Amino acid sequence: MEIAIDIHNLTKYYGDLLAVDRINFQVKRGEVFGFLGPNGAGKTTTQRMLTTLLEPTEGRIQIYGHDLVQDPMPVKRQMGLVPEESNVYTELTAWGNLMFTAKLYRVPAGDREPRARDLLETFGLWEKRHVKVEEFSKGMRRRLSIAMAIIHRPSLLFLDEPTPGLDAQSARAIRKMIRDLNAEGTTIYLTTHQIEEANQLCDRVAIIDHGQIAAIDTPEHLKAAFQKVQSVEIALSPDGGTHGERLKTLPGIRQAVKRGDKWRLYTEQPSALLPRLVDYAEKQNAEIVSLCTLGPSLEDVFLQITGQEIGAVQHKTKTSKGKIRKGGQ
Amino acid sequence: MSRGWITRLQDEISQAWAVAVKDVRVYYLTPPMIMFGLMLPLFLFFSFSIKREIGLEIGLARLLALTTFFTASSAGPVIIPLERRVGTYDRLLTAPMSLTTLLLGKTLVGAFFATLVSAVPLLISILGLGVNLADPGLLLISVPLASLAFSAFGLVFASIPTRSVGNIMMPSTLVRWPLMFISGIFIPLEEMAPWARTLAYFSPLTYAQDLMNHTVLGKGFLNPWIDVAILPLLLILFLIPAARLHHRSRVLGY
Repeated sequence: MEIAIDIHNLTKYYGDLLAVDRINFQVKRGEVFGFLGPNGAGKTTTQRMLTTLLEPTEGRIQIYGHDLVQDPMPVKRQMGLVPEESNVYTELTAWGNLMFTAKLYRVPAGDREPRARDLLETFGLWEKRHVKVEEFSKGMRRRLSIAMAIIHRPSLLFLDEPTPGLDAQSARAIRKMIRDLNAEGTTIYLTTHQIEEANQLCDRVAIIDHGQIAAIDTPEHLKAAFQKVQSVEIALSPDGGTHGERLKTLPGIRQAVKRGDKWRLYTEQPSALLPRLVDYAEKQNAEIVSLCTLGPSLEDVFLQITGQEIGAVQHKTKTSKGKIRKGGQ
Repeated sequence: MSRGWITRLQDEISQAWAVAVKDVRVYYLTPPMIMFGLMLPLFLFFSFSIKREIGLEIGLARLLALTTFFTASSAGPVIIPLERRVGTYDRLLTAPMSLTTLLLGKTLVGAFFATLVSAVPLLISILGLGVNLADPGLLLISVPLASLAFSAFGLVFASIPTRSVGNIMMPSTLVRWPLMFISGIFIPLEEMAPWARTLAYFSPLTYAQDLMNHTVLGKGFLNPWIDVAILPLLLILFLIPAARLHHRSRVLGY
């Protein structure tokens, strides 16, 4: 399969601070590639280098065979970027924003208006086309930002955290747009810390931690490699909130984490744990409301790889190599 | 090959124009632009002209020079950090155009604002106060020419890697004010001591003021065509370091 992005020993220093540490990976044409990492791991720095916003300190980026530093123009024409903050011009209307972007990307004059109309209709913004964007909701701005990123019909689309902060309806609509664009042949590079989103959307994911690629594979392969983080989820009534300490004492449980009205019990042998839980519920005079076994989620894999405790997303600073003082942006 | 270059050039000119038109539509009424681009030259003019018994024509020539200088050189330092802050500058940087094209677009914006602001006192003076211009034709090219050079001058300061307008305006003011005082704007070049006049030649404003004197009063110290020749040279002279410094800011992530 043709390679869309080829990264070789990509490195970025901010002064003496190493943000991205000699990373290597490839993105195939037509795939949805997820780039995951905790805050400060280097994922935004990597994306900014891939989109020409930041020059690498060392290493090489080739996109569709073009060296991005030496020959960026052919790549820029084929590339769209949806940044984390919807960088739309709030003083202009939705129509004005699209027309400006179309001119900037040299969309032929006869195609600009039909494409803008088509995008505004697809994204549910046609009725608001003459309204200044300052009156738009966050979800509407996000949709407009995506429309602006694809008006020139890029074959490679970069999305940085496309859904955080959006209501469920808008987030779902944007995920559908990403799937539709990919189905039409657009290669998607998705930077996110929304692990479930990556799980749903991505053909492959890379996990970056402390500036280095910690893992790269399909979500299912990554999960399969971490079978030891299987779990059983149980909901008891009455809950009482005191089960945690008692559940932890049951044989075979590595960790008990409260998730809403349920307890997630991490174990290497879920089937052996089930009868013990039934027995436990009887002894506690508690009713089992629900009980199910779960394989490792992508979030579990992510937390294992990045060395974060399950149930507590907190970034730890790596000091072992001495040269990394803290992660990048 | 040459056809490719022509297409590329057409593209870059169209993109620079699109950036300029968009900036005019988006930023013409922003508070920093009104403050630094409109109010400041007026304040300066009145501060140094009231009760000094200068003629109307001298005042107009002075005001035109001050307006082109301060308004044009404020556009970049106001617009670029604002765009960096809201992320729209990234949109421009990722577009398929060169950094020089982007800066050329920004230069046009400053020049447009300065020309527009200069037109107000000019029209009032001509239509309301009956001022007769010595060389209206030369004025028509002088104001845009001076505005373009000073707009590029402002872009040098706009390359400071920051997202705050204030962080650029401070050093910019630190440089622009001394340049104003050493120029022939308040003390005519012919009345300056030779050493002061030599110093005045280092200020870009000197050439704009001399040119405005020619167009409004009909007399200046230098040959007007020297002024006309120097201003485009200054435009290029300022654009080169501006492009290099903006590239440097990009390496730093701004």
